[in-house]
Amino acid sequence: MNKTRLIAGSLALLFAATACGSSSYDATPLPVKETPPAAKPAAPPAQDCANPLQSYRPDGPLPLPNQMPAGSTMARIHSYGRLVAGVSADSLNLGSRNPITGVIEGFDIDMINAVAAAIFGTAKGHVELRVISSPQRLPVLKAPRQPGAVDIVARNMTINCARWKEIAFSAEYYHSGQKLLVQSNMTRVKSLADLSGQKVCAPAGSTSLENLIKANPKVIPVTADTDTGCLVLFQQAKVVGITGDDTVLAGEAAQDPYAMVIKAPPFSAEPYGLGMNSGEVDFVKFVNGVLEKMKADGSWQQSYKTWLEPALGKAVPPQPLYGRGD
Amino acid sequence: MTQTASAPPATRSRTVPPVAAPGAPTLPAFPQQPKGRIASWFEGTPGRMRAFLIVAALVSVVFGLAAAQGFNESDGALQRAEANTAQLVRIQAIHTNLVSANADATNAFLVGGLEPPAQRQHFTDSMTTAAKLISEAATAQPADQKALGELNVTLLTYQGLIEQARANNRQGLPLGSQYLKDASATLQDDSLPVLNELVKANQARVDTEFDGIGRGMIWLIVGGLVALAVLGLSLFWLAKRTHRYVNVPVAAAAVLVLLTMAIGGGQLAGASSSAKDTRNISYADTLALSQARIAAYDAKSNESLTLIARGSGTAFEEAWKESAAIVDQRLARGGSTSPAAARQWNAYKTAHAKIRLLDDDGKWDDAVDLAIGTGASTSNSAFTAFDKASGDRLNDLSDATQWELGSAGANLGLLGWLGLPIGIVAALLAAWGISQRLEEYR
Repeated sequence: MNKTRLIAGSLALLFAATACGSSSYDATPLPVKETPPAAKPAAPPAQDCANPLQSYRPDGPLPLPNQMPAGSTMARIHSYGRLVAGVSADSLNLGSRNPITGVIEGFDIDMINAVAAAIFGTAKGHVELRVISSPQRLPVLKAPRQPGAVDIVARNMTINCARWKEIAFSAEYYHSGQKLLVQSNMTRVKSLADLSGQKVCAPAGSTSLENLIKANPKVIPVTADTDTGCLVLFQQAKVVGITGDDTVLAGEAAQDPYAMVIKAPPFSAEPYGLGMNSGEVDFVKFVNGVLEKMKADGSWQQSYKTWLEPALGKAVPPQPLYGRGD
Repeated sequence: MTQTASAPPATRSRTVPPVAAPGAPTLPAFPQQPKGRIASWFEGTPGRMRAFLIVAALVSVVFGLAAAQGFNESDGALQRAEANTAQLVRIQAIHTNLVSANADATNAFLVGGLEPPAQRQHFTDSMTTAAKLISEAATAQPADQKALGELNVTLLTYQGLIEQARANNRQGLPLGSQYLKDASATLQDDSLPVLNELVKANQARVDTEFDGIGRGMIWLIVGGLVALAVLGLSLFWLAKRTHRYVNVPVAAAAVLVLLTMAIGGGQLAGASSSAKDTRNISYADTLALSQARIAAYDAKSNESLTLIARGSGTAFEEAWKESAAIVDQRLARGGSTSPAAARQWNAYKTAHAKIRLLDDDGKWDDAVDLAIGTGASTSNSAFTAFDKASGDRLNDLSDATQWELGSAGANLGLLGWLGLPIGIVAALLAAWGISQRLEEYR
């Protein structure tokens, strides 16, 4: 009987060892993040044309609202019922959505409203604003002209030779220049040259980015989809400065009391134009007529006073240059 | 041992020594080469009987152990399946709460600085629930802790960006919308991939455990067949040697083994098949409805994003359609839906179609009014009703799944404890039966 006890004992041990069929699992894996290769800023496109500011001369006086010449681009827009415009919704004072009213407003928007009013008699109910990012400006204008395509872009766009190859511009409607925004306590910074080796933000696909690389190649460029995207990076201390048009930087400084636009004169000229499809020359001429009228009847000055003068000081409307295609 | 071994020296021998065949050398009665004690213990018929006794008893105990192991394995698999489905439901609840919070946040973007208090409360509630569920989930499944920690990190960023968006919106600064966009991107690009991994891992665990429930049967059957074979052989051998037809105790041991196999096997098969039913019905329904709800919230976010993009939102509308198709498909499973949930979802789709019609017609402001409104037949009111109806249904389904899995293995634990005692009883019966015959040789 001794043996049986021994066997029973060892079996009980075996029982204890096998009975608890516990199982443990491998740790849940973490998702593998694909880090996109750091985008190398492409070489700025060649600016090889005589005078990019030259636009198409208006054909005489503007047609009366609601009486667009048959077969013209304006007639097509009129029959569609509204002017489709690509704008920014986050560039304070140029084109930004008022968070309280929900309305997109600013200097650029006033230009669009004036064009719509010239076609329809009133802009109210005849403007469809499409919010687009900086890199989308050229593609939306080059898209096939079908109902609902973007007719005009007013999104602080600089007129230059490279862009003239893809789209058409109106005459200059505002003369901007590129400046630098830094934290208000960085008083030792006088220009981009003082930020070598540091990160500076500019919107992707903008002339500001090209100018930044040209002005100081030692700066590490960081891009965001919009101007405001740069301001977020700035507030998160991921960049030390933002470079962009004085208009845009003024809007950004207004939203952050610790941001300061450096007083030095702009290091590039940024003439703003309204962008249109390169095939719709009649529309470009029409828009130039509208701009002339705005500058003459004081509505340009009124809009400037409302949106930009408080931050940028007094300015006069730029003189239009024509002669393209003449 | 043989009787002769201990016989005294033949001084007064009663028996005549066997006469050897003439010419042949006489076999010496002794000095016999002493065999090992153990070896001699198993000599001859009684020795073989002893061997049978030991093997039969041993095999009976092993059968008891195998049965216990089988029951415990199945019971454990069932319990783990239950725990893992609970964890999966928890993870999906976290997912639902996050996309729901994000739907609120994106919708509030259309409103601007003046968020409706109810919507803000709903956002806060969703985030709070998600936070609590994360710590619950980390306790429930240690293997998920690392991933859940990572999820927590992304949510800290998300919540921080949302609050910054609020603060800026409240001051009327367009910057708020950029923070909101970044927050949404954080959730999409950082949080949701972690959640997807968690769902995948837990689904795999549930599947493994469901597959393991039937495996206990193998132990029971193999152990039982071996025990029956040995006991049967013992019976047969005893019957031949002892000229008695049936050794009752050994036969009783065999019957006990057979009964255990029949009853235990029945229980295991029952548990296995009801677990299979649960897997195919309640569990599958729970999963489908969870996925429907997540896709529905995604759709709701995309509705707002389409309007926020103001005409450049084609991609978001495409995403809406994709998500809505998932909802339709998941709700089409008979058991996963309730009439109320299906009705409310259709009402929401109608409201969404109206919003798209207005927006595509250039009436963006009217579309937004419809999208942020809370009155009757607005997108928000229809969606809230769907959320409630589907949420209630999901709770019922998930409770049913847990209950079914819990009750499927109710008897297995008890059987697991009985396994070894049954084995020992069978072993004692076999030992008793064989030792009765052994007595006759003393």
